[in-house]
Amino acid sequence: MTIRGGAPGDRGPAGAGDDLADLLSRIAARDAAAFAALYKQTSAKLYGVVARILTRGDVAADVLQEAYVRIWEKAGEFDPLKGSPLAWMATIARNRALDEVRRVRPLSLEDQPEGFEPAAEEIDPLAARERSEGLAALVDCLKALDEEKRAVVLLAYYRGLSREALAKRFGRPVPTIKTWLHRSLAQLRDCLAS
Amino acid sequence: MTISPDDDFAAAEYALGTLDPSERATLAARRLREPELDEAIRAWEELLAPLAEVAPEIEPPRDLLPAIEARIRGASPEAPENGAIVALERSIRRWRAAAIAASIIAGVLAIGFVARETSRRSAPHEYVAILQKDAASPAFAVTVNLDKQELTVRPVAAQAPPGKSYELWIIDAKLGARSLGVIGDKSRGASLSAYDPAVVEGATYAVTVEPPGGSPTGQPSGAPVFVGKLIPVGP
Repeated sequence: MTIRGGAPGDRGPAGAGDDLADLLSRIAARDAAAFAALYKQTSAKLYGVVARILTRGDVAADVLQEAYVRIWEKAGEFDPLKGSPLAWMATIARNRALDEVRRVRPLSLEDQPEGFEPAAEEIDPLAARERSEGLAALVDCLKALDEEKRAVVLLAYYRGLSREALAKRFGRPVPTIKTWLHRSLAQLRDCLAS
Repeated sequence: MTISPDDDFAAAEYALGTLDPSERATLAARRLREPELDEAIRAWEELLAPLAEVAPEIEPPRDLLPAIEARIRGASPEAPENGAIVALERSIRRWRAAAIAASIIAGVLAIGFVARETSRRSAPHEYVAILQKDAASPAFAVTVNLDKQELTVRPVAAQAPPGKSYELWIIDAKLGARSLGVIGDKSRGASLSAYDPAVVEGATYAVTVEPPGGSPTGQPSGAPVFVGKLIPVGP
């Protein structure tokens, strides 16, 4: 994602071509048209993030709503030096989804399916043809992980799987998964720093 | 100063999402009051965030935008079909009004504390924490007397949602979250004799929304709604 300059005020009505960073700065100034344009451009992307973690459509829709309310409230905090606008928004949405799925409740979400099946495909960033600079660097470092350990990180990220669910899926004890996660994450950070 | 390796891994797993519910709730409370931990979580989030770029799009339900716009305007949608949404909007407006009232009360409280501080310079080991969601919405006042190992919690402007209870927790990096009991409408006390004074002084105090009578598991059921840390009152 490229980030173009330009003062927030000198653009016309919000349209599909508007740069996301510009839209966020206009939203920080409480521009409702910019917010509607941002929603139009990004909601399918953010729903793609939350609906893979939350398996109930009504819950996923509620979480998406809350995520956009937070984006409206926090738009002024977006810092283009720390990542792309989409990555920043996805982090907000994903955090809300994780808060929901990691809530202690008498019945887990998985026990109450309502005929909602989010796309079940595995997401492989290594196969992505279009990559931002940030993703390209991260993919290079992911390639250096063992295949199984990379799969653990990616399933945790995209599907919001818990340590227990990962342990079951990979046929390993929970402490092993925890050790893998710690080593893989540390390795990714070291790799990105070098 | 850097955070401990344990906290760093917890921050990494918080960002990835693999902490279990009580660990996640504990870290969510601590990050609000521990800037270095918060910074570590953000750094891990930024490291992982590019992954979201390749998550394929899924079209959300069609009618969401008007509901979101209504929420950010704090008003009802133009053509409300759903009574529940209207009721929610009303309760949000009521909450906002309560928050404004609370900030006025907090101002008065603050003056009270300053007055007490100057009039009782010799009183040591008294601490106070205002538990809040953000600067504009103080909800509970917690006072701690370290000599007596007693805590008092007083609701300032918070009422538990219908059919729910508020529960108070003491949260420490090593101990995790321990319940200090359910909070009712009135001021109530709790003993802190089970905790080391250094833990009491440095801990985060947090309130979660729980089923009536408190958490069934002995651990917070979700992320805290109000948090705060103690500050000394007196010299």
